[in-house]
Amino acid sequence: MAADEVGRAALEDFIIHEARLLDARRFRDWMALFADDGTYWVPAVPDQNSPFDQASLFYDDRDLMKTRIERLEHPRIHVQTPPSRTAHLIGNVVVEESDHAKGEYVVGSTLIMAEYRDDAQRVFAGRQRHHLRRQGDTFRIVQKRVDLINCDGAFEAMAVPI
Amino acid sequence: MRNGHADEIEKLIEPGRVHRRVYTDPDLFDLEMERIFGRAWLFVGHTSQVPNPGDFITTDLGRQPVIMVRHRDGSVQVLLNRCTHRGAKVVNERRGHAPRLTCCYHGWTFDTDGRLVTVPVPEGCAENFDKDAFGLARAPRVGEYRGFVFASLAAKGQNFEDHIGPVKGNIDDLVDRAPDGTLALDAGMHRYVYNGNWKLQVENVLDSYHVPFGHASTVNKDGVQFARREGDQKGAMVVETEKKQTAASWKDRKSFIAGNGHGWTSNTSLDDGKRSSPAFDEYKKVLAEKVGAARANDILTPRLHNSLIYPNMSIMGLNIHVRVINPIAVDRTEVTIYPIRLVGAPEAMNFGNIRLLNVTHSAASFVQTDDLESFVRAQKGLQSTMTDWVDISRGLGAEEPDRERNATRELATHEMVVRAQYKAWLGYMHEAA
Repeated sequence: MAADEVGRAALEDFIIHEARLLDARRFRDWMALFADDGTYWVPAVPDQNSPFDQASLFYDDRDLMKTRIERLEHPRIHVQTPPSRTAHLIGNVVVEESDHAKGEYVVGSTLIMAEYRDDAQRVFAGRQRHHLRRQGDTFRIVQKRVDLINCDGAFEAMAVPI
Repeated sequence: MRNGHADEIEKLIEPGRVHRRVYTDPDLFDLEMERIFGRAWLFVGHTSQVPNPGDFITTDLGRQPVIMVRHRDGSVQVLLNRCTHRGAKVVNERRGHAPRLTCCYHGWTFDTDGRLVTVPVPEGCAENFDKDAFGLARAPRVGEYRGFVFASLAAKGQNFEDHIGPVKGNIDDLVDRAPDGTLALDAGMHRYVYNGNWKLQVENVLDSYHVPFGHASTVNKDGVQFARREGDQKGAMVVETEKKQTAASWKDRKSFIAGNGHGWTSNTSLDDGKRSSPAFDEYKKVLAEKVGAARANDILTPRLHNSLIYPNMSIMGLNIHVRVINPIAVDRTEVTIYPIRLVGAPEAMNFGNIRLLNVTHSAASFVQTDDLESFVRAQKGLQSTMTDWVDISRGLGAEEPDRERNATRELATHEMVVRAQYKAWLGYMHEAA
């Protein structure tokens, strides 16, 4: 696709694909969507400015993501015995910024994720923002940020990325 | 257990075992709220959370909602968060700033020392209405040590000095690491909840026995945990993989008790001579400039892993933080974890501490999540009425005095610290308030 052909549909397809990999527990394939300098951030404060001066629920660079995924693959990860099943719903997709020359895009969307594990179901909801960088015919994630509506609430254990 | 007679409660605790009901009986939980959380010295907050007059935080001490607020005279007040008129919670935010505290219902307004200042439509008050008698109730006793604020909801009982004395050194160990000699709990918080009794978390804080098993998923094929501290290249050796057993450095760790249910564990061996990163090296330099190289070296020599200040808080020396344990119900507990900012340390050092706490202690962390699973499963297992007793006998009789620390010592994979917690528990519980 030519640079100026990158439109909402391609970007939306990509972030839906990303969510489906999480639902399929294909965590390594999910990690491969991130750029080498990519980060996955779930703030613990509304409108949080930085992951460094305030605590976050998740703030993983590729190294931490790898450790997290190795743990998810470990046979004795108790908090995933039995494993979570999740279903993401992504909607209200808006291309917030496009820089065709640089091949960089910011995509905002609304996310709902239901999680079922060990006889209990719960729901996460929030807004997410993907900062994407074009790479060939696809994209790499520079940052995925998920702002949960209850980000500063108290949570039971969260084992899988949202 | 409704009456709470001493002889009935004493039957629940034996030298090496406790009755399952201490985790599952709602009536016992009610008694705990009255006899432990209603009178023990409880951690409320840190003075850095309320730096200026009018700054407040709200929290719960057992079942009592409280406001910790800085008054104009600089004092830190611990007030009951309940309007003296019709009982509404006065302050509804977790933290904030207000020169006066105004109830949302009828507008009764209190000063930051709890005094009732304004009653709307005052001509409706009874003739003998005495505003001075309607101030917000306050914690009868408040104590502070190096910024850590504790309160007791009982007018009488062990004094603060006697309570905190045995663990002052543990607080010093943390505070002295700040080049300016003071901490700031201003980097947000982690909050997690679990369907389990509060004592499951309290007991876990000093439990070194569970690590190779409970946290197996954090240990790589070489038996080593991930690096979890600024300046470390790798984490602790937890398992000796060739022998398939707990690593010697882990087994040799010690735990200590010094009265009041408090306890602590010695440090995790992490190749400390090799600890280095640009942020850590700069921090070490700044600390040495403030306190001298020898003292800085001493401060940075790890001695402590976790310290428990019974019954509701702990301090961790490795991934530095303060943890507050708040019972909600017999089978529901909420925990708050505050990252620590070392005032005067380079920003990058503090950033590293705050960030790595996500990995170990957030609700989405690698470490805490498996503990939460263990607590939930313990609560489920303890529902079984076919077996009454919970075993806490590891190392029973192997305790030895540690004169240097004025404490009692045992291997950290033993259960002396849990037995000490139940001794303190019984001390509070067997006596009616």
